[in-house]
Amino acid sequence: MSWPLDLEGVVGLLAGVAFGFILERGGLGDPKKLTGLFYLEDFTMLKVMFAAIAVAAAGIGALSLLGVLDLSRIAVQPTYLWPQAVGGLILGVGFALGGY
Amino acid sequence: MTGRENMSPMRPYWSPYLAGVALGLTLLATYLLMGFGLGASGAFAQVAARLEGAVAPGRAHANPYLVGYLEAGRLWAQWIVVEMVGVIVGAVLGAWTAGRFAWRLEKGPRIGAGRRLLFAFIGGATVGFASRVAQGCTSGVALSGGAVLAPGAWAFLATFMAGGFVTAWIVRRAWR
Repeated sequence: MSWPLDLEGVVGLLAGVAFGFILERGGLGDPKKLTGLFYLEDFTMLKVMFAAIAVAAAGIGALSLLGVLDLSRIAVQPTYLWPQAVGGLILGVGFALGGY
Repeated sequence: MTGRENMSPMRPYWSPYLAGVALGLTLLATYLLMGFGLGASGAFAQVAARLEGAVAPGRAHANPYLVGYLEAGRLWAQWIVVEMVGVIVGAVLGAWTAGRFAWRLEKGPRIGAGRRLLFAFIGGATVGFASRVAQGCTSGVALSGGAVLAPGAWAFLATFMAGGFVTAWIVRRAWR
Protein backbone atom coordinates (compact mmCIF):
# COMPACT_ATOMS: atom_id res chain seq x y z
CA MET A 1 0.00 0.00 0.00
CA SER A 2 1.34 3.38 -1.00
CA TRP A 3 1.39 6.52 1.09
CA PRO A 4 -2.25 7.60 0.95
CA LEU A 5 -1.74 11.38 0.96
CA ASP A 6 -0.24 13.55 -1.75
CA LEU A 7 1.16 17.03 -1.05
CA GLU A 8 -2.28 18.63 -1.22
CA GLY A 9 -3.55 16.04 1.25
CA VAL A 10 -0.74 16.89 3.67
CA VAL A 11 -1.67 20.58 3.39
CA GLY A 12 -5.31 19.62 4.03
CA LEU A 13 -4.43 17.56 7.06
CA LEU A 14 -2.25 20.32 8.56
CA ALA A 15 -4.81 23.05 7.78
CA GLY A 16 -7.47 20.89 9.44
CA VAL A 17 -5.34 20.25 12.53
CA ALA A 18 -4.71 24.00 12.88
CA PHE A 19 -8.41 24.76 12.27
CA GLY A 20 -9.58 22.27 14.92
CA PHE A 21 -6.89 23.21 17.44
CA ILE A 22 -7.58 26.95 17.15
CA LEU A 23 -11.37 26.53 17.35
CA GLU A 24 -11.04 24.40 20.48
CA ARG A 25 -8.54 26.73 22.16
CA GLY A 26 -10.70 29.70 21.23
CA GLY A 27 -13.66 28.14 23.04
CA LEU A 28 -15.66 27.25 19.92
CA GLY A 29 -15.78 23.58 20.85
CA ASP A 30 -18.26 24.50 23.57
CA PRO A 31 -21.87 24.72 22.30
CA LYS A 32 -22.88 26.80 25.33
CA LYS A 33 -20.37 29.46 24.28
CA LEU A 34 -21.44 29.20 20.64
CA THR A 35 -25.14 29.57 21.38
CA GLY A 36 -24.33 32.28 23.95
CA LEU A 37 -24.33 34.69 21.02
CA PHE A 38 -28.06 34.16 20.52
CA TYR A 39 -28.74 35.13 24.16
CA LEU A 40 -26.42 38.17 23.86
CA GLU A 41 -24.27 36.69 26.64
CA ASP A 42 -21.17 35.39 24.86
CA PHE A 43 -19.79 36.98 21.72
CA THR A 44 -16.81 34.63 21.29
CA MET A 45 -18.08 33.22 17.99
CA LEU A 46 -18.52 36.68 16.45
CA LYS A 47 -15.13 37.92 17.70
CA VAL A 48 -13.24 34.87 16.41
CA MET A 49 -15.07 34.80 13.11
CA PHE A 50 -14.82 38.48 12.25
CA ALA A 51 -11.20 38.75 13.38
CA ALA A 52 -10.40 35.74 11.16
CA ILE A 53 -12.29 37.19 8.19
CA ALA A 54 -10.56 40.56 8.62
CA VAL A 55 -7.07 39.03 8.87
CA ALA A 56 -7.58 36.66 5.93
CA ALA A 57 -9.20 39.32 3.73
CA ALA A 58 -6.46 41.86 4.50
CA GLY A 59 -3.80 39.20 3.94
CA ILE A 60 -5.25 38.11 0.60
CA GLY A 61 -5.42 41.76 -0.49
CA ALA A 62 -1.86 42.49 0.66
CA LEU A 63 -0.38 39.34 -0.91
CA SER A 64 -2.16 40.15 -4.15
CA LEU A 65 -0.75 43.71 -4.19
CA LEU A 66 2.72 42.27 -3.54
CA GLY A 67 2.24 39.92 -6.48
CA VAL A 68 2.57 36.79 -4.31
CA LEU A 69 -1.04 35.70 -4.78
CA ASP A 70 -2.92 35.63 -8.07
CA LEU A 71 -6.50 36.66 -7.28
CA SER A 72 -7.82 35.02 -10.44
CA ARG A 73 -6.76 31.65 -9.00
CA ILE A 74 -8.74 32.16 -5.80
CA ALA A 75 -12.08 30.35 -5.69
CA VAL A 76 -14.82 32.78 -4.68
CA GLN A 77 -18.11 31.19 -3.73
CA PRO A 78 -20.59 31.89 -6.54
CA THR A 79 -23.56 34.01 -5.53
CA TYR A 80 -26.92 32.25 -5.37
CA LEU A 81 -28.61 34.79 -3.17
CA TRP A 82 -31.86 32.97 -2.34
CA PRO A 83 -30.35 29.52 -1.67
CA GLN A 84 -27.63 31.09 0.46
CA ALA A 85 -30.09 33.26 2.39
CA VAL A 86 -32.60 30.44 2.92
CA GLY A 87 -29.83 27.93 3.69
CA GLY A 88 -28.37 30.34 6.23
CA LEU A 89 -31.76 30.75 7.90
CA ILE A 90 -32.33 26.99 8.19
CA LEU A 91 -28.74 26.46 9.32
CA GLY A 92 -29.22 29.05 12.06
CA VAL A 93 -32.29 27.14 13.27
CA GLY A 94 -30.34 23.86 13.39
CA PHE A 95 -27.33 25.53 15.00
CA ALA A 96 -29.41 26.92 17.88
CA LEU A 97 -31.08 23.52 18.34
CA GLY A 98 -27.97 21.35 18.24
CA GLY A 99 -25.30 23.76 19.43
CA TYR A 100 -22.93 23.55 16.44
CA MET B 1 -7.81 33.39 45.20
CA THR B 2 -10.79 31.58 43.82
CA GLY B 3 -9.37 28.11 44.25
CA ARG B 4 -10.38 27.22 40.72
CA GLU B 5 -6.80 26.93 39.53
CA ASN B 6 -6.14 24.43 42.29
CA MET B 7 -9.24 22.36 41.64
CA SER B 8 -8.87 22.16 37.90
CA PRO B 9 -5.75 22.05 35.75
CA MET B 10 -7.84 23.31 32.82
CA ARG B 11 -6.17 26.06 30.84
CA PRO B 12 -8.38 29.07 30.11
CA TYR B 13 -9.53 29.68 26.54
CA TRP B 14 -7.43 31.98 24.38
CA SER B 15 -8.55 35.53 23.84
CA PRO B 16 -11.12 35.35 21.02
CA TYR B 17 -9.15 37.99 19.11
CA LEU B 18 -5.95 35.90 19.33
CA ALA B 19 -7.89 32.83 18.17
CA GLY B 20 -9.40 34.89 15.37
CA VAL B 21 -6.02 36.14 14.16
CA ALA B 22 -4.60 32.58 14.28
CA LEU B 23 -7.64 31.27 12.39
CA GLY B 24 -7.34 34.10 9.85
CA LEU B 25 -3.67 33.23 9.21
CA THR B 26 -4.61 29.55 8.77
CA LEU B 27 -7.34 30.53 6.33
CA LEU B 28 -4.94 32.84 4.49
CA ALA B 29 -2.34 30.06 4.22
CA THR B 30 -5.01 27.70 2.84
CA TYR B 31 -6.08 30.23 0.20
CA LEU B 32 -2.42 30.88 -0.69
CA LEU B 33 -1.46 27.19 -0.98
CA MET B 34 -4.71 25.71 -2.34
CA GLY B 35 -6.67 28.57 -3.92
CA PHE B 36 -9.71 27.84 -1.75
CA GLY B 37 -10.61 28.16 1.91
CA LEU B 38 -11.57 25.96 4.84
CA GLY B 39 -14.79 23.95 5.02
CA ALA B 40 -16.61 21.35 7.07
CA SER B 41 -20.04 20.26 5.82
CA GLY B 42 -18.69 19.15 2.45
CA ALA B 43 -16.86 16.30 4.17
CA PHE B 44 -20.14 15.03 5.63
CA ALA B 45 -21.76 15.20 2.18
CA GLN B 46 -18.84 13.22 0.71
CA VAL B 47 -19.27 10.50 3.33
CA ALA B 48 -23.09 10.52 3.13
CA ALA B 49 -23.07 10.15 -0.67
CA ARG B 50 -20.78 7.11 -0.42
CA LEU B 51 -22.90 5.59 2.36
CA GLU B 52 -25.97 5.84 0.15
CA GLY B 53 -23.89 4.50 -2.73
CA ALA B 54 -23.02 1.44 -0.62
CA VAL B 55 -26.50 0.84 0.83
CA ALA B 56 -28.64 1.73 -2.18
CA PRO B 57 -26.35 1.96 -5.23
CA GLY B 58 -29.25 2.08 -7.70
CA ARG B 59 -30.90 5.05 -6.04
CA ALA B 60 -27.62 6.85 -5.43
CA HIS B 61 -26.46 6.56 -9.03
CA ALA B 62 -29.87 7.71 -10.30
CA ASN B 63 -29.47 10.93 -8.30
CA PRO B 64 -27.53 13.53 -10.30
CA TYR B 65 -26.48 15.39 -7.15
CA LEU B 66 -25.01 12.31 -5.47
CA VAL B 67 -23.35 11.11 -8.69
CA GLY B 68 -21.14 14.18 -8.57
CA TYR B 69 -19.73 12.95 -5.26
CA LEU B 70 -19.61 9.28 -6.26
CA GLU B 71 -17.60 10.06 -9.39
CA ALA B 72 -15.13 12.28 -7.50
CA GLY B 73 -12.95 9.26 -6.74
CA ARG B 74 -11.70 7.75 -3.52
CA LEU B 75 -12.93 9.23 -0.25
CA TRP B 76 -9.41 9.80 1.04
CA ALA B 77 -8.49 11.68 -2.12
CA GLN B 78 -11.06 14.37 -1.25
CA TRP B 79 -9.28 17.39 0.21
CA ILE B 80 -12.13 18.39 2.51
CA VAL B 81 -12.39 14.88 3.98
CA VAL B 82 -8.70 14.85 4.87
CA GLU B 83 -9.04 18.39 6.26
CA MET B 84 -12.01 17.32 8.40
CA VAL B 85 -10.02 14.39 9.83
CA GLY B 86 -7.38 16.99 10.68
CA VAL B 87 -10.02 19.15 12.40
CA ILE B 88 -10.98 16.25 14.67
CA VAL B 89 -7.32 15.49 15.45
CA GLY B 90 -6.57 19.17 16.09
CA ALA B 91 -9.61 19.67 18.33
CA VAL B 92 -8.78 16.58 20.40
CA LEU B 93 -5.16 17.77 20.65
CA GLY B 94 -6.30 21.23 21.73
CA ALA B 95 -8.67 19.89 24.37
CA TRP B 96 -6.17 17.30 25.61
CA THR B 97 -3.25 19.67 26.00
CA ALA B 98 -5.52 22.18 27.76
CA GLY B 99 -6.73 19.56 30.26
CA ARG B 100 -10.25 19.81 28.86
CA PHE B 101 -10.57 16.35 27.33
CA ALA B 102 -13.52 14.73 29.13
CA TRP B 103 -16.71 12.78 28.54
CA ARG B 104 -19.50 15.25 29.19
CA LEU B 105 -22.64 16.77 27.73
CA GLU B 106 -22.75 20.56 27.58
CA LYS B 107 -26.30 21.74 28.30
CA GLY B 108 -28.40 24.16 30.28
CA PRO B 109 -29.34 23.15 33.85
CA ARG B 110 -33.05 22.85 33.08
CA ILE B 111 -32.98 20.22 30.32
CA GLY B 112 -32.51 16.46 30.54
CA ALA B 113 -29.75 14.63 28.70
CA GLY B 114 -32.22 12.72 26.53
CA ARG B 115 -33.97 15.84 25.27
CA ARG B 116 -30.66 17.63 24.77
CA LEU B 117 -29.43 14.74 22.62
CA LEU B 118 -32.72 14.67 20.69
CA PHE B 119 -32.28 18.41 20.00
CA ALA B 120 -28.70 17.72 18.91
CA PHE B 121 -29.89 15.04 16.46
CA ILE B 122 -32.63 17.22 14.99
CA GLY B 123 -30.28 20.21 14.90
CA GLY B 124 -27.56 18.18 13.22
CA ALA B 125 -29.92 16.89 10.53
CA THR B 126 -31.23 20.44 10.00
CA VAL B 127 -27.70 21.84 9.65
CA GLY B 128 -26.82 19.03 7.22
CA PHE B 129 -29.86 19.80 5.07
CA ALA B 130 -29.24 23.56 5.20
CA SER B 131 -25.60 23.16 4.24
CA ARG B 132 -26.66 21.48 0.97
CA VAL B 133 -29.17 24.28 0.26
CA ALA B 134 -26.50 26.95 0.78
CA GLN B 135 -23.61 24.90 -0.70
CA GLY B 136 -21.76 25.09 2.60
CA CYS B 137 -21.93 25.91 6.28
CA THR B 138 -20.54 28.50 8.67
CA SER B 139 -17.01 27.40 7.69
CA GLY B 140 -17.20 27.11 3.92
CA VAL B 141 -19.71 29.84 3.16
CA ALA B 142 -19.57 32.36 6.03
CA LEU B 143 -15.89 32.18 7.07
CA SER B 144 -14.13 31.32 3.82
CA GLY B 145 -16.64 33.23 1.70
CA GLY B 146 -16.49 36.22 4.02
CA ALA B 147 -12.70 36.38 3.66
CA VAL B 148 -13.00 36.76 -0.13
CA LEU B 149 -15.97 39.12 0.26
CA ALA B 150 -18.41 36.80 -1.52
CA PRO B 151 -21.85 38.49 -1.42
CA GLY B 152 -23.60 35.21 -0.64
CA ALA B 153 -21.49 34.81 2.52
CA TRP B 154 -22.94 38.00 3.98
CA ALA B 155 -26.50 37.08 3.04
CA PHE B 156 -25.89 33.70 4.68
CA LEU B 157 -24.48 35.30 7.84
CA ALA B 158 -27.43 37.69 8.19
CA THR B 159 -30.11 35.02 7.87
CA PHE B 160 -28.05 32.58 9.97
CA MET B 161 -28.17 35.08 12.85
CA ALA B 162 -31.92 35.60 12.34
CA GLY B 163 -32.65 31.86 12.41
CA GLY B 164 -30.38 31.38 15.41
CA PHE B 165 -31.82 34.21 17.48
CA VAL B 166 -35.45 33.16 16.95
CA THR B 167 -34.81 29.45 17.56
CA ALA B 168 -32.59 30.05 20.59
CA TRP B 169 -35.38 32.09 22.15
CA ILE B 170 -37.76 29.13 21.69
CA VAL B 171 -35.31 26.49 23.02
CA ARG B 172 -33.81 28.65 25.77
CA ARG B 173 -33.93 25.73 28.23
CA ALA B 174 -31.46 23.75 26.13
CA TRP B 175 -28.66 26.19 26.87
CA ARG B 176 -29.53 28.61 29.68
